[in-house]
Amino acid sequence: MSTETPTTRTDRDERGALARLKNSPFLSELLSNRLALIGIGIILGMVIIALYARLFYDLNALTSSRLGGFPDRTAPGWAGGPASLTEMYFGTDALARDIFRRTMYGAWIALKFGTITVAASTTLGVGLGIIAAYYGDVTDNVIMRTMDVVLAFPSLLLALALVAIFGAGLWKAVIALTLVYTPRFARVVRGAALKVLEDEYIDATAALGATDPRILVRHILPNTLAPITVQSTLNFGLAIIDIAALSFLGFGAQAGTPSWGLMLANGVENGLQTGKWWMSFFPGLFLALTVLGFNLLGDGMRDALDPRMQDTLD
Amino acid sequence: MVSKRFVAKRLLLLIPVLFGVASFVFAILHLSGGDPAQIIVGQRASQETVREVRRELGLNDPILVQYGRFLIEAAQFDFGESYQISKGTPVRQVLADKLPVTIELALYGQGIGLALGLPLGVLSAVKQDSLVDHGTRIGALTGISVPIYWSGPLLILLFSGYFELFPAAGRIGSTIFLDDHWVLFGRELPLTGMVTIDTLILNTGAYIGSILNEGLTAIPTVLEHYEAFTSAVMHLFLPAVTIGVYSMALISRMMRSSMLEVIRQDYMRTARAKGQGAKITVMKHGFRNAMIPVITVVGIQFGTLLGGAVLTETVFGIGGIGTMLVSAINATDYPLVQGAVLTFALLFTLVNLGVDITYSYLDPRIDQ
Repeated sequence: MSTETPTTRTDRDERGALARLKNSPFLSELLSNRLALIGIGIILGMVIIALYARLFYDLNALTSSRLGGFPDRTAPGWAGGPASLTEMYFGTDALARDIFRRTMYGAWIALKFGTITVAASTTLGVGLGIIAAYYGDVTDNVIMRTMDVVLAFPSLLLALALVAIFGAGLWKAVIALTLVYTPRFARVVRGAALKVLEDEYIDATAALGATDPRILVRHILPNTLAPITVQSTLNFGLAIIDIAALSFLGFGAQAGTPSWGLMLANGVENGLQTGKWWMSFFPGLFLALTVLGFNLLGDGMRDALDPRMQDTLD
Repeated sequence: MVSKRFVAKRLLLLIPVLFGVASFVFAILHLSGGDPAQIIVGQRASQETVREVRRELGLNDPILVQYGRFLIEAAQFDFGESYQISKGTPVRQVLADKLPVTIELALYGQGIGLALGLPLGVLSAVKQDSLVDHGTRIGALTGISVPIYWSGPLLILLFSGYFELFPAAGRIGSTIFLDDHWVLFGRELPLTGMVTIDTLILNTGAYIGSILNEGLTAIPTVLEHYEAFTSAVMHLFLPAVTIGVYSMALISRMMRSSMLEVIRQDYMRTARAKGQGAKITVMKHGFRNAMIPVITVVGIQFGTLLGGAVLTETVFGIGGIGTMLVSAINATDYPLVQGAVLTFALLFTLVNLGVDITYSYLDPRIDQ
C-alpha cells in the first residue's frame, strides 16, 4: 500500500474489517473466478425473479384452485399443450394453476426462508462458538458437547424429529433447520476464534482494560468473519434444499403455497406415473439452479480465501 | 495397527453423546404436547379409558421416573408398541423389518458413489486443469446441487416412463412371492431382509436344487430361476443410482482436493526420483494417503445418505424405515418416531466410530 497518511488507532479500528476486505486479494481473486461469477449471476437472477414475483404476482391466484376455468395437468403450449395456454409457459398442475408463475414465486419463498435459516443459524452458531472459545473450560465443554449430540443425528432426520415436536409448517421447518445447522457454525467459529486468541494483541487489549464483550465483538468476531462467510454461503444451498425437502415430505410449506418442494411433491403424486414431466421438471430445475448458484459462489469464496481452508470447512 | 487405547477412548467419548441422543429422543414425546393415551384409544373414547391407558403407560409417574425408565428401556432397544401404524406390534420388531430395506438402499448408493467417485477424483487431480478435470468438477458441483427428490422423479420419467427400462416403484415384481426363510441341509435359516441378497440366496438354492434333481439338463434354466433376483435388481437400480450420483459427486470432489494435496508432498517426488513410474506412485503412495480425509467425509456423508434414503424411499415407494418415519410423524405414532430416530442416530454414530478407527489404522499418528 502506498498511502502514507498516518492513521490514528480509532481510525484503523473503524475501518478495520472493511479496509482489510478491500485491500485483500480476496475480492479480486473471487472476481477472477469464472465459476464464482456464474454463481453470482444465477443468484442475482433468482433475486430479481423473486422480487418481481413477490411484487407483481397475485399470491391468491397462485394458491387457490383454478379448476373449471382452465384445463388441469396440461403440457405447456410449446410442448404439445393446447395453444390457448401459450402464456402458461410451464403448463398447469393438478389444480389447473399456472406452473410458470408458481415456480417464479417459489424463488421468493426459497430465498426468503433460506436467508432466515442461514442468518439465524449463523448468529446462533457464531455466538456459541465465540463464547465457547473465549471462556473455555466448563462453558466450552457444555456448549461443544451439546453440539456433538446435535451432530450425532443425520441432519435431515434430526429436522424430521424436531418437526415431529413442533408440527408442520414453513416457519417451524426454519426453526428446526436453524437448530440443525447451528453446530456447524459453532465449530468453525470456535476453531477460528481459538486461533485468534493465541495472538498476543488479545492479551494486550485485555491488559488495557477492555471488557469481555468488547474483546469478543471488536477483536475476535471480525477475525472470524472470513470462515463464517464461506460457511454461510455453502450452507445457503443446503438450507434451500432441506427446506424444500421438508416441504416435499409434507412437513414444510402447507397446501397451496407455491414452494418448490411442495410443487415437486405434487408433481410426483399427480404426474409421475402418467408421464406429466412438466409438473416436476420446472420447479426442480429452478431449485437445482439456485442451489448450484450458491455452491459455485461458496466454492469460489473458499478457494479465494485460502485453498488450505478446504480442510476446516465441509 | 490400531491401538486398543485409542478405541477405548473413542468408545468412552461415545457415552455422553449417546446419553444426549437418548435424552433428546425421550423429549420428542414429552415436548410435542400430544397425549399418547388419547392417541391410542382415539378421540371418541371415554375419559375413564384414557385415564386407564395413561396409568398403564406410566404417564402419571413423575417425569424423572419416566425418564429413567425410558433410558433403561432404550438401552435394551425397547420402545414399547406402535400406537397407530402397526398397532400393537413392538417397535423393535417393526424396525428390524424395515431397517434392512433402508440399509440396502444406502449401501448400494454408497457403493456406486465410491466405485465412480474415487477414480473420477483421482483422474481429475492427476490431470489438473485439463478438460477431464473441468468436466468432473462442474459435474460434481452440479451433482451436489441437484436434490434427490428431483433427480429421482426425472429418472423415473425418463427410464421408467419414456424408455420403459426399469420399474418405477416398489422392491420386487408384484407377481413374485418370496419365502421368509431359506433351508440349508434341512435347517431353516432366517433371511437378511435385503431383497437383492435374499432373492440371490433363494434363487441359487432353487437352481442348485433343480440341478441336483434333474441333472445337467437343468443348467440352461438359469434365467428362469433367477427371475426374482433380476426383478429385485431392476427395482433397486434407479433408486440406487439416484443416491449414488449424489454420493459420487461428494466423493469425487473430496478425492480430488485430497489427492492434489498429496501429489505435492515430498515423498511423492522421492518415489518418482527412485525411478518409480508415475502411475504406480499415484496408486501406491498417493491413493492411500489421499484416502485418509476422504474416509472421514464418507463417514459424515453417510448421514446425508440416510437422509437421502428417506427421500428416495418416498419417491420410489419403497417401504423402508424412512417412509415409515414420515408416516409415523403424520400419525403421531411416537414410539415408532422415537425408535426410528434413535436407530438412525445410532447407525450414524457407529459408522463414524468405524471411520475413526479406520482413520487411525491408515494414519497411526492420530492416536498419539
